[in-house]
Amino acid sequence: MTSTILPPNTKRISPLGRVEGDLDLNIKVDDGVVTDAWTEASMFRGFEIILKGKDPQAGLIVTPRICGICGGSHLYKAVYALDTAWRTHVPHSATLVRNIAQACETLQSIPRWFYALFAIDLTNKNYARSPYYAEAVKRFAPFVGTSYEPGVTLSGKPVEVYAIFGGQWPHSSFMIPGGVMCAPTLSDVTRSISILEFWKREWLEKQWLGCSIERWLANKTWADVLAWADENDAQRNSDCGLFLRMSLDIGLDKFGKGCGAFLATGTYFQPELYERPTVEGRNAALINRSGVYDGAEFHDFDQANVREDITHSHYKGSSLLHPWDGVTEPIDPLEGAKQGKYSWAKSPRYLVPGKGQIPLEAGPLSRQVIAGRPGAAKHQDYDPLFLDAIRTVGPSVLVRVMARMHEACKYYNLARRWLGELDLHDKFYTKPTEHAEGKGFGSTEAARGSLSDWIIIKNGKIENYQVVTPTAWNIGPLDGKNVHGPMEQSFIGARIADPADPVEVGHVARSFDSCLVCTVHTYDAKSGRELARFKIGEGAR
Amino acid sequence: MSETRPDAPPRVLVIGCGNILCGDDAAGPVAVRRMWDLGLPPAVRCADGGTGGMDVAFQMRGVPKVVLIDACSSGSEPGTLFEVPGREVEQLPPLAGINLHAFRWDHALAFARWLLKADYPTDVTAYLIEVEQTKIGAPLSPRVDAAVDRLVRRLLTQLGDGAV
Repeated sequence: MTSTILPPNTKRISPLGRVEGDLDLNIKVDDGVVTDAWTEASMFRGFEIILKGKDPQAGLIVTPRICGICGGSHLYKAVYALDTAWRTHVPHSATLVRNIAQACETLQSIPRWFYALFAIDLTNKNYARSPYYAEAVKRFAPFVGTSYEPGVTLSGKPVEVYAIFGGQWPHSSFMIPGGVMCAPTLSDVTRSISILEFWKREWLEKQWLGCSIERWLANKTWADVLAWADENDAQRNSDCGLFLRMSLDIGLDKFGKGCGAFLATGTYFQPELYERPTVEGRNAALINRSGVYDGAEFHDFDQANVREDITHSHYKGSSLLHPWDGVTEPIDPLEGAKQGKYSWAKSPRYLVPGKGQIPLEAGPLSRQVIAGRPGAAKHQDYDPLFLDAIRTVGPSVLVRVMARMHEACKYYNLARRWLGELDLHDKFYTKPTEHAEGKGFGSTEAARGSLSDWIIIKNGKIENYQVVTPTAWNIGPLDGKNVHGPMEQSFIGARIADPADPVEVGHVARSFDSCLVCTVHTYDAKSGRELARFKIGEGAR
Repeated sequence: MSETRPDAPPRVLVIGCGNILCGDDAAGPVAVRRMWDLGLPPAVRCADGGTGGMDVAFQMRGVPKVVLIDACSSGSEPGTLFEVPGREVEQLPPLAGINLHAFRWDHALAFARWLLKADYPTDVTAYLIEVEQTKIGAPLSPRVDAAVDRLVRRLLTQLGDGAV
């Protein structure tokens, strides 16, 4: 279908491209509107094959290297996969440290993604007619923008906290079955608190919100958010206020709907409820809940209902298997193309009773929709704002971005609370029994969505290991019933102002923050002629 | 020279870049691990930059001398070592299409100069090791493995002598 972007090896001495994987996107445009879309992950990633036959703990080393941006999230779910397989005991404070680290990685990602990846498109010449354009250029232009610089600079702060507990960031492996490999001191905790407070004060409240976290979190409906943006000059002129007003003006609330069904596998554990991690006990112990919203109803999340469809993926056959039974048998993509296969990504699907296997969107919007489900336990998050948003204005690029930014306030509050709850005299590790046989499931919410590992251990070695990433949930290709994946569905209906520079497509892709470099090929539906070919840099896995 | 406070910037920071899952691309992270195992001279610190490009820049704050180690593919004999002055290869990532994943150390250097301003290192050198293969899951090739050892010994001697 399209060519792969090759690593930039043309210079005399050139650094290698990293193992990240590229996304080629093909869209069909009819009278200026996208009428069909196919996403093609054009690089094979064989982590499941690397892990087969290795020591069960290899996942703790290998999976955080899958990604240079959300390695901590990979570690978090990899360790819980082993905790459940080995039936470990995790001390109270070890759970808090894991929670703090996971939250800080996500806090880092929020401003970095907004300024370094998303907001750049607001300076596209397509929007020159918007009354907000000059201000957007002044603030969001790469490197020179008045908001870009502090936004990107301050984004590095939260992972300093990760490094205090984890020894390093990125690519730490400090979470181990039975706890964590650190024994924090009082000065570690006070430094962490001051780093996070600085980040909140200087970026989140001063620059992004123009108000306190508490004032923002008082917004319970989409109407509240719109009223907030007009409440006073500080809020109106904040980056958030400007972004909201400009988005409504240029129509970011009008496209990028997606499949309208959402998944969160949930994250962060209430320590006393998950001292003995099990697959069955996971949902009840979560602070940020798991769940599925199919557009009409909520369902409890059950990992047993996850399947991976490979009908249109470059793997042997067309199976629809649960990850514990998953196989990764790559085939030559040229051979795959003859069978109608077009992507290296598998298509995760979820069995909803009465609806069959359906695609689900993963990410901050999904998490916040699930947070709106009534019936949260006392330790769990209940937040109706984004359920109201998708019911009143519908999912869109704007709502998806706002859900991501909203989490900055919530995760800050959580991390700050957990730092205060750490008992430095507590144990941080209980040595586990390394059972030779076992089955485990570990999952978390990486910045960009649900991220899960399934492991089977036999004779003390990894028999099977499957990683299902948020990017796979979002960018997976057509399934066996020819149903498009969530991101493919999101492109359809977008109105393209300039086919030579379809910035609208970039907005949709970036609103998912998928991990992939994107080559967009726009075809005119009538002539079949390729109209544009260019690269769009993408966020993270 | 006595050790400074643990959170003070070191005199020299050695950053290994690359992905340990991809054959010879592991050269950088493996090199900093071997240096650590052999014992670092005072005021020298190692960092595993991995594939988190932008964060390599954050780690350079206030450090006078930075040494980067990475793999490269130039068509030379595998295991060939290159020494490149940082200034020669700094380049900002393309503005349209900035991508946190394809954020390489040449981008990181230019980005760090922008980010750190007066706190940018005065001396940056990159050592590049020519790869033989970057197959997913493969170990270091023997020639690259030997080149990592050569570079590690050379750096430990230089840094230990304070010759840098």
